[in-house]
Amino acid sequence: MTVSEGVTIIKTGEQGAFGGELLTVNFGPHHPSTHGVLRLIVDLDGEQVRRVKPVIGYLHTGIEKQMEALRWQQGVVVTDRHDYLSPPINNLAYALAVERLMGVDVPPRAQALRVIMSELTRLSSHLVWLGTSGLELGAMSMLMYCFRERDTILDMNEEISGFRMHTSYIRPGGVMADATPRFLEMLEEFIRAMPGHIDEYEDLLTMNPIWRSRTIGIGRLSPEDAKVLGASGPMIRGSGIAWDLRKAMPYSGYENYDFEVATSDDCDCYGRYLVRIKEMREAVKILRQALDRLPDGPVNVDDRKMLPPPREELETSMEAVIHHFKLFTEGYSVPPGDVYVAVESGRGENGCYVVSDGTHKPRRVKFRSASFVNLQALERMALNHMVADMVAIIGSADTVLGDVDR
Amino acid sequence: MGLEELAESLGQNVLTTTLGKLVGWGRGNSVWPAQFGLACCAIEMIATATPRLDIGRFGSEAMRASPRQSDLMIVSGRVSQKMAPVLRTVYDQMPEPKWVISMGACASTGGVFNNYALLQGVDKIVPVDVYIPGCPPRPEDLLNALMILQERIKAQGIMPRQ
Amino acid sequence: MNSRGPLLSAETLVVEKGVSAGDSWITVDAANIKEALQSMKDDGYRLLVFLTCVDHLADASRTWPGRYELIYQLRNIETKEMLRVRAFVDGDPPHIDSVSELYPPANWDERETYDLFGVVFNDHPDLSRILMPDDWVGHPLRRDYPVGGEVVEFSEEHQTWQTAPEDA
Repeated sequence: MTVSEGVTIIKTGEQGAFGGELLTVNFGPHHPSTHGVLRLIVDLDGEQVRRVKPVIGYLHTGIEKQMEALRWQQGVVVTDRHDYLSPPINNLAYALAVERLMGVDVPPRAQALRVIMSELTRLSSHLVWLGTSGLELGAMSMLMYCFRERDTILDMNEEISGFRMHTSYIRPGGVMADATPRFLEMLEEFIRAMPGHIDEYEDLLTMNPIWRSRTIGIGRLSPEDAKVLGASGPMIRGSGIAWDLRKAMPYSGYENYDFEVATSDDCDCYGRYLVRIKEMREAVKILRQALDRLPDGPVNVDDRKMLPPPREELETSMEAVIHHFKLFTEGYSVPPGDVYVAVESGRGENGCYVVSDGTHKPRRVKFRSASFVNLQALERMALNHMVADMVAIIGSADTVLGDVDR
Repeated sequence: MGLEELAESLGQNVLTTTLGKLVGWGRGNSVWPAQFGLACCAIEMIATATPRLDIGRFGSEAMRASPRQSDLMIVSGRVSQKMAPVLRTVYDQMPEPKWVISMGACASTGGVFNNYALLQGVDKIVPVDVYIPGCPPRPEDLLNALMILQERIKAQGIMPRQ
Repeated sequence: MNSRGPLLSAETLVVEKGVSAGDSWITVDAANIKEALQSMKDDGYRLLVFLTCVDHLADASRTWPGRYELIYQLRNIETKEMLRVRAFVDGDPPHIDSVSELYPPANWDERETYDLFGVVFNDHPDLSRILMPDDWVGHPLRRDYPVGGEVVEFSEEHQTWQTAPEDA
């Protein structure tokens, strides 16, 4: 039976606990509360959620197939676009995987710049989450405040890479370019201002009675469930398990930074909110350390087979011209083998599994996306909650549909 | 009875052309976009609504969740083969007159994803008024596209698009 | 983790083991996959990080026991060790036992692998397409499935973009 366009209600005939029949209600894929093009088929007993079946694939982009058709260095551009809230972190996973296969290590300055970009991205990703989740639960001004700081981060992205969102800044073999002095100034200013801004968000939300009543006790995910369902990122840390890949399996020099893993024992939407706020503070802390200890030196590996020669060499050296030509017509080849590298994105474990058959194109690139796995926990979280709480629960899972569908 | 039928019955004369200017002015300055975020571009679309750019200056801050209440569909992001029928359904639900902005390279041409999964250009299923290049375009680009669209709406007057 | 890979109680099921770019892996017979993963789980590899498939069609870099290689990436959260389990399957469609009972996250991963590679997982609770539309024909990530899209003029793929490679 169609009630109005986009809302179809089917009676399943099953008896609910309150004497009525279960109703099947369709949410999405075009629905204001579903964070993108997620579709949910929900069985309701009265207003209580009995079953949730997410239907995904509405943003399936064929990224993995596209990667097989692109050369190794071209693939970076595509990695940006699957989890579109944390492009440099996706770049990092891919770059680390290719570097592991080729057996190269990037210089310390490149590693520090990668950490800086990762943490900036984590901040901007959490800011989008905070803004949109606030908006959905009625705290409209959160969006305005959060996007103000996010725009500052995007300005920094633009300064360092020339592009606001999809920077393609981290590449196999290093980074695109060295940080400009202007970027470092902006970063310094940002690090000084950001803790104050985070206080501002907390003033607005942490003790806000509406926010608390809409999130506390909502969307419970017990630590056991979180482990069994393979949840990662703020989802598992919000359930009290201190699992963070930056600490557990450090990459790109994260072992040298002093930071805490944010956890919360609340196991609910509010706990996940606290985790993300804490993570933002820790990210600023990491940025401070990275900026203070930013080493000098090159930002790329010195390998002419992997990266183009500097512009000035092209005018004097025939060999450089040949390398340049070979690199941009054929690309480089990667030794056969396979490797899995996982990095911690704003949403959890963002991994890249790469198989090479020794040619200049990958045989298979698989992205292990945190959202895809975390979304499977949605049913567990939404069970027996009111249908109005679904908004808070979907929001707190922070799924990016581009990441789910790839 | 809509304004269009009235204008058609009266034909082109001083009254309808002057009224047309008024209607075009009104329509052009209150374009309500449907909240139809798909991918990366949707984030930049949200950014246009925030204080730095403030799409409200152009009368389009009222992003409607229901297609029934909106005049403009901003296709912000890549449209997959699975999403295409949904997009067309949402477009069909919007009341006339309606306009479409194809935001970003993916919506306009498929962008970097020239593959099986994506619709190579949203203009295959809905008529597009303004295309915005970029992947994703800057929020300023979206505002520029909106201004171009406003000029068009104002010039259109009452008569519906054929 | 030593270079010969971790010690496993399911040593008898292991066909081959090795290390690829620092990741230790083992190969098991596809018929024993459930048994092998059960014993891995008992050994502490309680998290299935991801499950996927690689299509080795016309891959000249080495000889493969089968066309489809199923990859199960496992992790022991306590010791932080990772282990990759491989299983090779052939046939059209290839069949392998589902492990979604052992590892709940495998549920969607198996559906995705079925959708994109056409690998059929026996006893899966709901084996249906997950990313592509329900009425889609073919399995896009197989190597003999064309990339699709539209031909870009003057590109290097202009001739071959929409056709499968001849040796496929």
